Amino acid sequence: MPKVTYILPDGQSVVIERAEGSLMSAAVDNHLTGIDGDCGGVGSCGTCHVSINPAWADRVGPATDVEKDMLECDAAATTTSRLGCQVEITPELDGLVVRVVGR
Amino acid sequence: MSDHQDPFRESRTHSGLQLVHCDGEAIPLVLRLQDVRKAANDWKTFSSDHPFKVILHSEENVRSVRQLPIEIDPPEHTEYRKLVEPLFRKPNEVAYQAKIASLVNQMVADAIKSDTVEAVNEFALPLQSRALTHLLGMPESEADIWIGWGLHVFHHSDNSEAKGAALDRYVELQFSRAEKEPGDDFFSILNNADFRGRKLSFEEKAGFASVTFAGGRDTIISTVSSIIVYLGKHPEALEFLRADETRFSTATEEFVRYVSPLTAISRTCPVATTVADSPIEAGTRVALCWPSANRDERAFRDPDEVVLDRKPNPHVGFGFGPHNCLGAPHARLIIRSLLKSLCDQVQCIKLLAAKPLMETESSYTRQVGYESVQVRFIGK
Repeated sequence: MPKVTYILPDGQSVVIERAEGSLMSAAVDNHLTGIDGDCGGVGSCGTCHVSINPAWADRVGPATDVEKDMLECDAAATTTSRLGCQVEITPELDGLVVRVVGR
Repeated sequence: MSDHQDPFRESRTHSGLQLVHCDGEAIPLVLRLQDVRKAANDWKTFSSDHPFKVILHSEENVRSVRQLPIEIDPPEHTEYRKLVEPLFRKPNEVAYQAKIASLVNQMVADAIKSDTVEAVNEFALPLQSRALTHLLGMPESEADIWIGWGLHVFHHSDNSEAKGAALDRYVELQFSRAEKEPGDDFFSILNNADFRGRKLSFEEKAGFASVTFAGGRDTIISTVSSIIVYLGKHPEALEFLRADETRFSTATEEFVRYVSPLTAISRTCPVATTVADSPIEAGTRVALCWPSANRDERAFRDPDEVVLDRKPNPHVGFGFGPHNCLGAPHARLIIRSLLKSLCDQVQCIKLLAAKPLMETESSYTRQVGYESVQVRFIGK
């Protein structure tokens, strides 16, 4: 399973060696600070905001229209922001680095 | 679930606003999802600093305190909310989830043993109140007092002022009790809280208590009742949910989206602004219409259909932005636990009768829940 590095809001790097599910569920399962996943991953609560490392942005893909509407309301959003619950962790994303934007 | 019709579609499509006249005030309802989100997020332009006016009608005749943290803006709002946020996020803890699952399982088992159940007053209301005792760290027996207050602590009564006064007396007694016997309950937490280097005043503490008891009451009762009616009308839904346990979570979000029991929360605009290309004068109140946003056809495919595995589901049934519902983890846990428990224990729900609870204002009538629901729970 793929390895994903999360850079937490306090700057700490946490590596999830065998990340499963979405960027949100993998973070929640590993109790990472800054990602809550309150709505269970349907893109409603906005508590899984991550910024994809630019080197990975093309492979992860751009935010969907649903995500863009949510992220438009977050002043901390970057050009590579995604809602973590909408990004499935696939083998192609092994080594992915993301920054947890938090709330 | 064709009962929960959308009275805002035409206005939402045409102009994005609908005027409602309340107590001599003309209040535009903001109807489109993205407009609602932007307004909910922009607290400087859409302020919550208006005591008693959190909903359409002023509540100054039923309470004497500003509700906190809902009726104030940042930065005070942020600091007030931090005092209680850990308590309201307890439902995310595994041990707490087990307690609510146990409560719900017992209530469903008891309902199965009864011949018929009036699901609003004999199931949804007791469930809401007993679950709240766990959230607030009170003995479960305290729920018997809270159940006696009826579907809403202020409203749905011939004498809202008396109901409000009864809540005031109860709250005063509880803060006093917690002073003498401090613990880790909601009242003790507020007694001991440090706000900007001082203790909270009684009015501030009562403000927290007011919204805690008023906020997650008829909303949870209405959603639970509506779920029971839906499952009664759609017996195949239980099988659908049983087939994939991730559907307890998606179905919870969908029911919250679809029922949207709280029609509107208001904001006051201190400066002139624009919503949906319409000018809003300085000093005007507007209201964020969550149920309309939750049926916005630009965001939701088949918005008037219940799709139990709807993903994504970017609803605003718990609000949005800084004032998003503190009780959301609590409500989500109750509903998810209920759906699981019904799938585990119930073969089907026989719906015998249902009387919708309608809310009527000057420019709309909409169903917010049920006045009564007669059902028979058939156990497995």
